[in-house]
Amino acid sequence: MIGSLATTRLIAAVTLRRLVRGRALWVGGIVAAMPIAFAALLHERQARATMNITDVTAFETLVLAVLPALFVASSIGEEIEDRTTTYLWSRPIPRWAVLVGKLVGLVPVVIALVLPSWFLALQAGARMTPSAASFGAFAVGAFALSLVAATIATLVPKHGMALMICYMLFFDLPVGALPGSLQELSVTHHVRVIADMLDRTAESAGLAALGCILIGGLWLAIGLVRVRRLEA
Amino acid sequence: MTVVSVDNCSKWYGHVLGISDITWQLRGGVVGLLGPNGAGKSTLIKLMAGLLRPSRGSLAVFGETPFHHPEVRRRIGYAPEHEKTWDELTAIELVTAMARLAGVPRERAGKAAEAALAAMGMTDAMRRRVKGFSKGMRQRTKLATAIAHDPDFLLLDEPLTGVDPIARIDIVRQITRLAAAGKTIVVSSHVLYEIEALTHEIVVIHRGQVLAEGNVYEIRRLIDRHAHRIRIECDRPRVLATALAIEPHVMKISFERTGVLIETREPDRCYDQLATAVLEHGIAVTALGSPDNNLGALFDYLTGNRR
Repeated sequence: MIGSLATTRLIAAVTLRRLVRGRALWVGGIVAAMPIAFAALLHERQARATMNITDVTAFETLVLAVLPALFVASSIGEEIEDRTTTYLWSRPIPRWAVLVGKLVGLVPVVIALVLPSWFLALQAGARMTPSAASFGAFAVGAFALSLVAATIATLVPKHGMALMICYMLFFDLPVGALPGSLQELSVTHHVRVIADMLDRTAESAGLAALGCILIGGLWLAIGLVRVRRLEA
Repeated sequence: MTVVSVDNCSKWYGHVLGISDITWQLRGGVVGLLGPNGAGKSTLIKLMAGLLRPSRGSLAVFGETPFHHPEVRRRIGYAPEHEKTWDELTAIELVTAMARLAGVPRERAGKAAEAALAAMGMTDAMRRRVKGFSKGMRQRTKLATAIAHDPDFLLLDEPLTGVDPIARIDIVRQITRLAAAGKTIVVSSHVLYEIEALTHEIVVIHRGQVLAEGNVYEIRRLIDRHAHRIRIECDRPRVLATALAIEPHVMKISFERTGVLIETREPDRCYDQLATAVLEHGIAVTALGSPDNNLGALFDYLTGNRR
């Protein structure tokens, strides 16, 4: 039998190959380019640099909401919905390796689109180089939200992508803007803390990163249980 | 050795019944699962492939439950009913990946995939992406994914659906070859002559239950209590009907445009008397046959759905 690590690697490689040959990568590229175009437009209008940073950050956060849905939720959701998972579930491999393999293939793509988008958007909008902390924040955020997207897709495969976007728009982003401890449930809130984008120092970046990982990990655990019980 | 052992197995999808209280054993050979759409064939195949868990009862393949024991799935080759697959890959990439996932070592997976595709007549198309394949080519590719890792037990869900006649011949030939090599094969179909081309061992499923199983001719004997129909096309159907109407085994005679349809409880005796009547009255017979001499009629009998 093929080992779990080899299965994960193989699934990741196949996922990546399919992604490169499909259309999603192009759509993802366009989504990632939007903050850059938006920032360039703001700069053209000669708005104040501080305003630009706030607006560009908000726009980039929206990209963070869309890309995991576009890549992770749609890929996993379609796989289950189209029943191509039957090819995988009927093989002598652990099911968790399929989910993890897909994440290993897709999360780097999400991060690889978000980080240049953030860098170029800030350059275009405010002629600034983003801090290392903000790069780290967006990377951790993309990672955690990809895990959320994967689990939502296993729970509701048919509408995984739409539900992930809804989760971001109607839960994560609003909750992150709320005062009080409830905002600890929001990945985007933790992203802003890590990137030092909030006007307070009570929370440390390390704790915020841990918060992101905990939220993502909790969702992933649900996803793994779901995949283990999933029938085709 | 028992390959599949199904014991009082039921499967529901919510309130929808998949299969109901099936007890069945498969020891080897080629077996055709026969039944209309929604009968439970695919459910039974998916249970055997380890894609579903029984709601009640048990199902074992090579002594293990395939849903919970991945290692037993190494010995199973499964070709699903649906067409969708990883369309962005080429056929060779797809089959190689599936062979690898089935446990074929990396250094042998490519060769195994090539051999499986070649066996399915896909050598020329193996470097093309699945996306552009016809239905027949997809079926062949699916079958290649099922056989590439040389499984002992093959589950082929509707493998001949939608394929062209040439592909059909190739696929039938390949399944026959695999059976001759000692593989245990379960083939499902709702098209009766497809099963006939592959095996005479059938399991008739309807509304989630096994209606009958065994050799098709043995099953015929089981249903001999039902009327057997004989259709005769001749120049003087009324004379022929009059000659046979007095026989006690003849249950019903109906006239058709060019002949007569006789229903009898004793087909052998009826054929004898038919021959005698034809000779005695000098009737010119242009065609003689029975609509019951195929699996379609058998299935209709068993389901009580006479045509």
